[in-house]
Amino acid sequence: MSEDNSNVLVKAEGLTKLFLVEKGIFSRSKSYIHAVDKINFEIYRGESLSLVGESGCGKTTTGKLLVRLHTPTDGHIYIRNYENELTDIAHRKGKSMKEFRRRVQMIFQDPFESLNPRRTIFDTVAEPLQVQGMGTYQEKEERVVALLERVGLTPASSFIFRFPHELSGGQRQRVAIARALIIDPIFVAADEPTSMLDVSIRTGVMNLMTELADEMGVSYLYITHDLAVARYMTERIAVMYLGKIVELAPTEDLLHRPQHPYTKALVSAVPVPDPRYNRKTIPIKGGISAPIDPPPRCRFYPRCPIADDFCRDNPHPPIEDKGGNHFVACYKV
Amino acid sequence: MTTKNTAVTATDEFEHIPLWRVRLRLFSKSVRSNWALFIENRIGVVGLVVIVFFGLLALAQPIMMNTIWADEKGVFDPIGGHDITIAVHPSPPSARHLLGTDPLGRDVLSQLSFSTRYEFGLGLLAAVITVVIATTVGALAAFYGGIVDTVLMRLADLMIMVPFIAILIVLGALISVGMLELAIVIGILAGFGGTTIVIKSQALTVKVKPYIEAARVAGGSNAHIILRHMVPNLLPISLLYMMFIVTGAIFAEAVLSFFGLTEIEMSWGLMINVTQNFGYLLRFDAWYLLVPASLSITLLSAAFYLVGRALDEVVNPRLRRR
Amino acid sequence: MAQALLSVEDLTMNYTTRKGDVSAVDKVSFSLAEGESIGIVGESGCGKTSIAISLLRLLPDNGHFRGGSVWLGDIDLLSLSEPDMNKVRWNRISMVFQAAMNALNPVYRVGDQIIEALNVHWGVVTREQGRDRVAQLFEMVGLDPPLMDRYPHEYSGGMRQRAIIAMALSCNPDIIIADEPTTALDVIVQDRILKQLRMIQDQLGMSMIYISHDIAVIAEVAERIGVMYAGRMAEIADSVSIFERPRHPYTYALMSAFPSITGEKHELFTIPGEPPDLLDPPTGCRFHPRCPNAIEICREQQPPLEEKHPNHFAACWNPMEVIQ
Repeated sequence: MSEDNSNVLVKAEGLTKLFLVEKGIFSRSKSYIHAVDKINFEIYRGESLSLVGESGCGKTTTGKLLVRLHTPTDGHIYIRNYENELTDIAHRKGKSMKEFRRRVQMIFQDPFESLNPRRTIFDTVAEPLQVQGMGTYQEKEERVVALLERVGLTPASSFIFRFPHELSGGQRQRVAIARALIIDPIFVAADEPTSMLDVSIRTGVMNLMTELADEMGVSYLYITHDLAVARYMTERIAVMYLGKIVELAPTEDLLHRPQHPYTKALVSAVPVPDPRYNRKTIPIKGGISAPIDPPPRCRFYPRCPIADDFCRDNPHPPIEDKGGNHFVACYKV
Repeated sequence: MTTKNTAVTATDEFEHIPLWRVRLRLFSKSVRSNWALFIENRIGVVGLVVIVFFGLLALAQPIMMNTIWADEKGVFDPIGGHDITIAVHPSPPSARHLLGTDPLGRDVLSQLSFSTRYEFGLGLLAAVITVVIATTVGALAAFYGGIVDTVLMRLADLMIMVPFIAILIVLGALISVGMLELAIVIGILAGFGGTTIVIKSQALTVKVKPYIEAARVAGGSNAHIILRHMVPNLLPISLLYMMFIVTGAIFAEAVLSFFGLTEIEMSWGLMINVTQNFGYLLRFDAWYLLVPASLSITLLSAAFYLVGRALDEVVNPRLRRR
Repeated sequence: MAQALLSVEDLTMNYTTRKGDVSAVDKVSFSLAEGESIGIVGESGCGKTSIAISLLRLLPDNGHFRGGSVWLGDIDLLSLSEPDMNKVRWNRISMVFQAAMNALNPVYRVGDQIIEALNVHWGVVTREQGRDRVAQLFEMVGLDPPLMDRYPHEYSGGMRQRAIIAMALSCNPDIIIADEPTTALDVIVQDRILKQLRMIQDQLGMSMIYISHDIAVIAEVAERIGVMYAGRMAEIADSVSIFERPRHPYTYALMSAFPSITGEKHELFTIPGEPPDLLDPPTGCRFHPRCPNAIEICREQQPPLEEKHPNHFAACWNPMEVIQ
């Protein structure tokens, strides 16, 4: 995009993931869900990017692609390696992939399901070190203790040999954060890490993640459905709609001057915690549906209030800089 | 937070405690808490008491042979014994033979007690074989899916369709089926069959948990994920099915021995078989031939089943009343 | 409040568990006027859903009332016989449940399920009457009437929630309790449903009790807000008053911890610690271990719910200063 590549930490280029839809054994034709469809974005050093969208828009799939829990159908994922070069990991396998697992990690949404109930906190947090064969038991233990204390589970000695069910939701999510950061990754895909936590607990976890990003030099892809949370977590926000990024802009710019009609509707629908505020909804028609074999035109066309024949007859609009690093995928902007 | 009564004090200087001791302590803690859940269930306790009773009975025979019966081993031997002091066999219970003697002049109590350890051995061995096979096959089929899943599951279907008793009858005609062979056959048949399907369905729910994905993101190999994440989460349900398999195995042995299809020297089923061969099966005056063995079969099978039911409540919190 | 439609007085309920009694709702009082909408906000485990099921007397087997009363007009719901209570459910008080996915039976058509509810609670109706009523209800909640012949799985999440609302409206209740009606929905759908609910409430002049963890949703739908913490009502006042001058430190913390996309990007407040274990709640004020304003008396005595301003009640010994 605009800046040169030296600042880029993670870069997705034409990233695509199609899921085959089972139609039954007698059907010859194949259908695909276009979960993620030719998306491009970059995450720079020292910054994090939020990926915002409604359920089913492909934001979790994007996160899982970046940490290679899914293998992309097409496209490239560049991640800076130890030699400081951008290397494509989209189709890596075996040993060279295992090495890259030290560079990228993931934090999951559900703190109750993301920790194995039969393993102690020590086993869970030390797991990345263990499978990567890093450190002796003593070293692992020191590292785990230090990190547990850093994520706010103090004293670490009273947590390290407990089981997940003895911890509260907020504490479990802190354990998950410690697990993700223990091998010093440069990039973490965080899939709704605070959406299941209560407000009073959530802020602590959000602040912790921000602090750790600065301290440990890690960048997040912060996946969330909540624009207000995204505002506090990252400098830039990307909005996804049915497998496409429709708008990508600096946070305040996107929230106060949304340009894509979908983003406008989305921003206007967020409730405001102030009874005096008179919020005006920008209505859009219809609902979201699964992108099964979608027509090539703009994904938002059926619901768009400003669409015209040009939108109908042309392929999905490319995402372009409309000034001030504000990228929008719309012909009408 | 319930920080009060957990092992906080001990872990305060955890740096000096070797890992195996920590694990041992955690293990004993989990055993204790599960035990507390288990004994709440009356049914399970009843089952356990019956099992312990039969355990003592099994121990009794060798002890008796070396103490009270030591001078008359020829009389009280469960297989080759014969009491020549009694003119007519079978003889009803007496002070000398608490449960009487069988038509061949052997002491029924000695037979019963001698058989018990083999019943235990058979049941538990069959159960262990079943669970090892079922857990392995279930975990592999669920984890790899695709062709591995298809092959293993069709095999399981095949095993379910095989008529269990009938195949043992055929097998009994082909080879000499002792306790060990019987345990292996029952273990394999049950292990590939229904138990596998249950454990596989459990494995499928474990497979999609985010902690599996987290292990993969960390770089964990397939073996690591199966051994460290899937199997530990399958073991409780495996243990549960072990109990039900014990029940099935004891019952199967009784049926086969009754029909005289096994080469087993002495067992509860065989005791009934002898009773039947000599025409005492429906003679109520000779109840002491039939009742001890059949009651033992019923009780021990039921006991393992009851323990299984109680374990079910420990393993599945949803079944607990509270 | 003389003309209160519903008035809850010192409602107390426990859940008995194997570890002891969980004090889920402790001496909660509030009242609801005709046509009013009240919001109950609080975090998970604060007792807000327990209040909802208490009002309808739908407690699970291990739930027990330990005191207090619920007056609907001049009837005490807690002392009604079960058949009489059944007449109150749906006809006078109905509920929109949280899990829209599970509230509809997947094997029956949606319309038939509503007609069934009518038959049970409203008195027997003929099929034509029932279908007319369902069509009327569907139009009210913004669903196309022909959709009544579809099955729940053919509905989207938003449509299902609308159908649940239609079902709750079916017997013309005086009060609707909406327990997290939009929690599982995306913002755009949530916005539509909330608008629809408010519109229906205006049209029919019903009273509503909204229950949510989301203070922003509550701010938009409720005229009066009750803030709950650990089974107790911490503060209750009309919504503008509670946002302009929160007096309970918990209310203040909750609002400062809540991110918004409008206004200045202020520092988000963090409440230290974790919500208490209700098996063994703290003595005195249940918030005192986490409270920045806590003083000696907070540890010892439970603060009463006092009127700090006209119609603005808070249960706090050392409330927040009013910032002008």
